[in-house]
Amino acid sequence: MSGWRKKERLWGLLFIGPNLLGVTLFFILPALFSFGLLFTDYRFANPDMNFVGLGNLKRLFHDELFYLALKNTALFLASVPVSIGLAFLVALALNKSVYLRSLLRAMFFMPYITSGIAIAFVWMLLFQPSKGPINQLLRAVGIENPPGWFSTTDTSMLAIDIIWIWFMLGYFMIIYLAALQELNSELLEAAKIDGARGWVTVRRIIWPLVSPTTFLLLVTGLIMSIKTFGIIQAITQGGPGNSTTIVSLYVYRTAFSYYEMGYASAISWVLFAIILFITLIQWFGQKKWVHY
Amino acid sequence: MQIRSISWRKSAATAIMFALGLLMILPFLWMISTSVKRPDEVFEYPIRWLPDQLLWKHHLKVWSGPKGFALYYANSLKIAIIATVGSTFLAAFAAYGFSRIAFKGRDTLFVLYLSMMMIPPQVLFVPKFIMFEWAGIYNTHWALILPGLVSIFGVFLLRQFFVGIPKEITESAFIDGAGHLRIFGQLMLPLAKPAIATFMIIDFSWHWNDYENALVFLTESDLYTVPLGLQNFILEYNIDYNGMMAAATAGILPMLLVFMAGQRFIIEGISSSSVKG
Repeated sequence: MSGWRKKERLWGLLFIGPNLLGVTLFFILPALFSFGLLFTDYRFANPDMNFVGLGNLKRLFHDELFYLALKNTALFLASVPVSIGLAFLVALALNKSVYLRSLLRAMFFMPYITSGIAIAFVWMLLFQPSKGPINQLLRAVGIENPPGWFSTTDTSMLAIDIIWIWFMLGYFMIIYLAALQELNSELLEAAKIDGARGWVTVRRIIWPLVSPTTFLLLVTGLIMSIKTFGIIQAITQGGPGNSTTIVSLYVYRTAFSYYEMGYASAISWVLFAIILFITLIQWFGQKKWVHY
Repeated sequence: MQIRSISWRKSAATAIMFALGLLMILPFLWMISTSVKRPDEVFEYPIRWLPDQLLWKHHLKVWSGPKGFALYYANSLKIAIIATVGSTFLAAFAAYGFSRIAFKGRDTLFVLYLSMMMIPPQVLFVPKFIMFEWAGIYNTHWALILPGLVSIFGVFLLRQFFVGIPKEITESAFIDGAGHLRIFGQLMLPLAKPAIATFMIIDFSWHWNDYENALVFLTESDLYTVPLGLQNFILEYNIDYNGMMAAATAGILPMLLVFMAGQRFIIEGISSSSVKG
């Protein structure tokens, strides 16, 4: 190795080293540690830890609550494509044909950037079943028995989905707006001259052209959402009757309410497997599904 | 000066989109309105957006007392500022290393970095909890600050920006005898100001809104950050809806200010980090 090469290597280490130390301490080591815990029956505050092999995975296989959590996760993730679809329409409208563009953009984007857990409590009151503004409005327009939202098992996830659609919409919209800006305007002009109007242009030309963006948003949106549980923990703690317990929340509860840390590790790796699966679809599916 | 003609269609579209935009921010307006109302006005229908009399006592209640929002603000600001400044430095250094220093194994290392982004925080909670117990930083602010110093997303974002800066600029400086530290400090950092601003805003808002890590790693109420303080307030006064909304307003206010001041950076950052992934 020449002296220059050696020196470069040293500089590389100096620049990346501090960050790499952090990544090792807070990502790589804990990930390896967690993978080890997966094969144990470790419980917090219980010193004797046993190797149980694949015991945790076997237990997972028969855990009804886990299956329910998987189903709930699917119902929760259903909000992502809906939000993406709406975001596309909003971006389309804001792209050209409006005045006050930046003000309108800010209004749609605001929930995403400003809203942590605080807004969850606002929605909790908005969805209040007997006197909340949403149900008062529904009654005023003639719906006599409006949904019970967070108070009943069959509508609680719907309410969460509505909040999540509202929350993510601005993020998806911003990225669609950027994609629309980059569209080839000559192609759109040519389509216009050929007589393509309004909705036909959107369906036949714009939607296929932004399909790489749609695909990317679907993947990132699903991954971002699957890692979340804060908003659900704050509003329903997974209830009523576990109807809003999604896998990520189930991990948290198993680890920090029941202190079954070995088992929690096993569930958390299922979450990783789902993310890996989505990522692999992204890698291999991109060419197949995306139409230019 | 010629007056531009106002298009009818465009005006109608603007009106419709404004109405929908208003719908998006309605929860915020309802929150603020409720925080200055009387308790019996909370669920009044039709909604009275501007009460006859503005009451500030709910806000006072939220901010005063030994476990008030002043304490939670101080805790949150301390964590968010230290973590954001630190992670920006570490990420900028690493991003320079990944984009401007050629050494063996660099790209493999970067792929390892990216693959770490796939690991959900839920995988890391339990081992971090155990490790922090051992290290004696569980239930201290360090449990949030230290991991907060490392942002893989930041390395990714800033590296992407550095790669976009023409190589000729740094190479000619190199030939003139400048070392990596000088090129980094005097050339790259000033050029990367917009990207750094973007990252700092996004990272700060992430730390400010971080509820899940605080939930796992903090138990003592004196250490609570704003999200935990909010939750605590709601557990304690669960029928004081006006107070709840005053507390929620307190939680959102800083992000609202950051959003108004830095909107341009946030939007540019999010657009550029995602398109053409």
